[in-house]
Amino acid sequence: MTREKMGNILVWILIIGFGVWGFPGIIDRFANGHINTSYGSYIPWGLWISAYIWLIGLSAGALMISVMTYVFNIKAVEKVGKMAFLVAIATLVGAMIAVGLDLGHPLRAFSLIFDPNLSSMMGWMAVLYTAYFITLCVELYFAIRKEQTVGLQQKNIKKILIVLGIWSIPLAFAFHGGVGGVFANVIAKPYWHGPMLPVVFLAGAFLSGGALFATVAYIWRPSQSKDEFLKMMIYLGKVTLALLIFDEILELSEVYVGTFYANQGEGHLWQQILFGQYWYVFWIVHLLIGVLVPLFLLTAKSKSPGAIALAGLLIAGSFLAVRLNIVIPGMLDPEIAGIAQAWVHSKLTFSYLPSIMEWQVLFFIVAVVMAVFMIGKKILPIYQTAGDES
Amino acid sequence: MCELYTYILKISLKGVAMSKEELSRVDENLTLETDESRRDFLDKFTKGVFGGLIVGGVVSALAPVQAKANKHGSNLNFSTPFKPFTLPPEHPGEDATLRMMRDLQRALKKPIEQRHWNMVIDLRKCVGCDACSVSCVAENKLPPGVVYRPVIQQEIGTYPNVGHVTLPRPCMQCDEPPCVPVCPAEATWKRPDGIVIVDYDQCIGCRYCLNACPYDARTFDFGLEYIDGTADAPKVFLGKEKAGKYETDPSYEYAKEWKRQDDASPIGNARKCHFCIPRIEKGMLPECVVTCIGRATYFGDGSDSESLVAELIALPNAFRLKEEVGTHPSVYYIK
Repeated sequence: MTREKMGNILVWILIIGFGVWGFPGIIDRFANGHINTSYGSYIPWGLWISAYIWLIGLSAGALMISVMTYVFNIKAVEKVGKMAFLVAIATLVGAMIAVGLDLGHPLRAFSLIFDPNLSSMMGWMAVLYTAYFITLCVELYFAIRKEQTVGLQQKNIKKILIVLGIWSIPLAFAFHGGVGGVFANVIAKPYWHGPMLPVVFLAGAFLSGGALFATVAYIWRPSQSKDEFLKMMIYLGKVTLALLIFDEILELSEVYVGTFYANQGEGHLWQQILFGQYWYVFWIVHLLIGVLVPLFLLTAKSKSPGAIALAGLLIAGSFLAVRLNIVIPGMLDPEIAGIAQAWVHSKLTFSYLPSIMEWQVLFFIVAVVMAVFMIGKKILPIYQTAGDES
Repeated sequence: MCELYTYILKISLKGVAMSKEELSRVDENLTLETDESRRDFLDKFTKGVFGGLIVGGVVSALAPVQAKANKHGSNLNFSTPFKPFTLPPEHPGEDATLRMMRDLQRALKKPIEQRHWNMVIDLRKCVGCDACSVSCVAENKLPPGVVYRPVIQQEIGTYPNVGHVTLPRPCMQCDEPPCVPVCPAEATWKRPDGIVIVDYDQCIGCRYCLNACPYDARTFDFGLEYIDGTADAPKVFLGKEKAGKYETDPSYEYAKEWKRQDDASPIGNARKCHFCIPRIEKGMLPECVVTCIGRATYFGDGSDSESLVAELIALPNAFRLKEEVGTHPSVYYIK
C-alpha cells in the first residue's frame, strides 16, 4: 500500500471518528446556544477563539508556501503550490466556522463583509478574510489553469500568479498581524496589549502553517523523482527549523520579560502559565511535543523525510496550546478586585477549562477541515503538471 | 417624611403604569435604521508590505475612535417628549431624591445634546446591601449570569487594622469608552447625553466589548433561565410555571419591548447598565438610585451647575475609577 493510500485511509478514519464524536457538540451548540460552554462574561473567549487563531495561522503559513512557489519561484516546492492553496482554503474554512460558532448571532456577521466598523480591528478582519478567501480561490483557479495551458497563455497566467502572489503578501501580513492586533489593541488587558503581539502571531502562523505543510506534502506528494521529493522535504524541514528557532527566540524574550520580576506587571500570569494548574499545556504539550521533539527530529543528521513530516505534524498540532496560552491568561485578571464574588454565578468567574461540548465542536471543525482538503484534493487536479513548460 | 415617601411611591407606580402604554408609542416612532528579477520582486514586496502598513495606519487614524452617533440608528438616541409632572414645593431639608427629580425635570427640558448624565456614589454611605443590584435585575428582567450593577465588597488592611469597603459598580458610561470603537458591527455607541448603549438588533455577540471594558461592566446573555434544572413535578412542586412566566416577561430597555425567547435578542448579546434610560426619559430616577437604602447613589445632569450631582462632583474627595486608563467615566465616587 502506498503512503498516499495509507494517508487517505488514516485521514478518512480520523474525519469519521472526529465527526461522529464531535457531532453531538454541534447539535448542542445549535440547540442550546452557548449555555454548555465553560467561558462566561469575565473570560468571554475560550477554546473556539483559540482554535480560530490556530487555524487561521495554519492558513497563513500554507499561503507562505504558495508565495514561495509562484513568486519566489523556489524549485523545491514548485509542484506543491496548488496543494498549499488547498490547505490554506481548508484551514480558512475551519477558522471561519470556529469564530462563527463563537458568535451570539452568527448570521448577523455576514453584514460585516459589506458594512464593517473600520475603527474596530475585528471589523477589518471581516474585510480582510473576505479578500483573502477570494484571493485564494482565484489563485487556486489560475494555478490549475497554468498546468492546463501552454505557450503564451501559460506565460500570461504565470504573470497573473506573480501579481496575485505579491498581493497576497501584504494581505497575509495584514490579516494575521491583524488578528494579533485584535488582542494587542485591548488596553484593558495588559498581557495582550503591546506592539509585539502581531509579530508573534505572524511568526507563529508561518511556523505552524509551514510545519503542517511539510506533513501534507510528505503524505500526498506529487509525482516527482525520489531526489526531487527528498529536496522538497529537506527544504521544508529547513524552513520549518528556521521558523521554529525564530519563534522560540520571540517566546524566550516574552518569558524572560514576563518572569524576571515575577511579582510585577503580568509576572503572576506567567507564573500561572508555567507553574499553575495547567502547567502541562506549556511544558508538555507546547515545549516538549511542539518544540523539543521537533527540534531533535529537524536537526537529526539522517534528514529522513518521515522525521521532518512528523516534526511538522507535532508543531502544527500542538500549536493550539500556544494559542490557548495567549488567549486565556490575558483574561484571568479581574478588572476590579473582588468582582467575581460580588455577584456569584458560574458565568461570572475567572477560571476556565473547556467543556466537553467545546472540545466536541473543535474536533468536528477539524474533521470538516480535513474533509474539505480531502474532497478538494479528489475533485481538483492539484497533481496535474501536463503542459507545464518548466 | 412618611408623606414624602408615599408621594415618591405614587410617582414611581404611576410611572410604571404609564410606561408600557407610552413605551409602545415610543416604539412605534422608533425604527432602528436600523518574471521579474528577484531584486525587482523584493522591491515590490517591500513596497507592498510597508505601503499596506502605512495605508492601514492612515485609515485607522482617520477612523473615529471616540464615541459617536451610530450610522444604524441615531434613533436609539431617542429622547421622547417629556411631560413634566408636579412635584411638591421645594423646601429646606427636603429629601435628596426630590431635589434630584427636580434636577431631572430641568435637564429633560433641555435638548439631549445639552445634558450629560452623571452618577455619584457616596462610598461612606453604602452599606453593601445589594438592594441596587437586585432592583436592577428586577427592573431590566436580567437573566442568570447577567448583572449590571454588582456591589463589590472587600476587606482591606492587615489584622487588626482592617476595614471593609463596598463599591457598587454600574457601567461608567465613559466619555472615551473603549467598548465603542472595538465593536465590529457599530452596535454600541455613546448618546449625546453621555449614555453608552447597545443596539441589541445589531450586536453579533462577539464579546470583544466585554474584553475591552476596563471595568468588567458588560456581561453576555447566554440564554440561561432561573428555572433551568429545577424540579419539575406538576401538582407536587408548585410555582415553576409561574416562575417560568417571569423569565419570558419582556424588559423595556432602550424603550423597546424585548422578549427573551427562541434565542432572540437580547439572548446572545452583550448587555450593560444604561442608567435606566426608559425611566429617566419619563422623569424618574434610575432604579438603583431610588432603591438605595442609604441615599448613597445620586443621579442627575452634571452639565447643570445647580444640580446636586454637579455639587457632589466638585467635592475634593470625589474621584473616578481607573483614571489612568483615560476613559473619563461619568460615574464618580465619594470617599
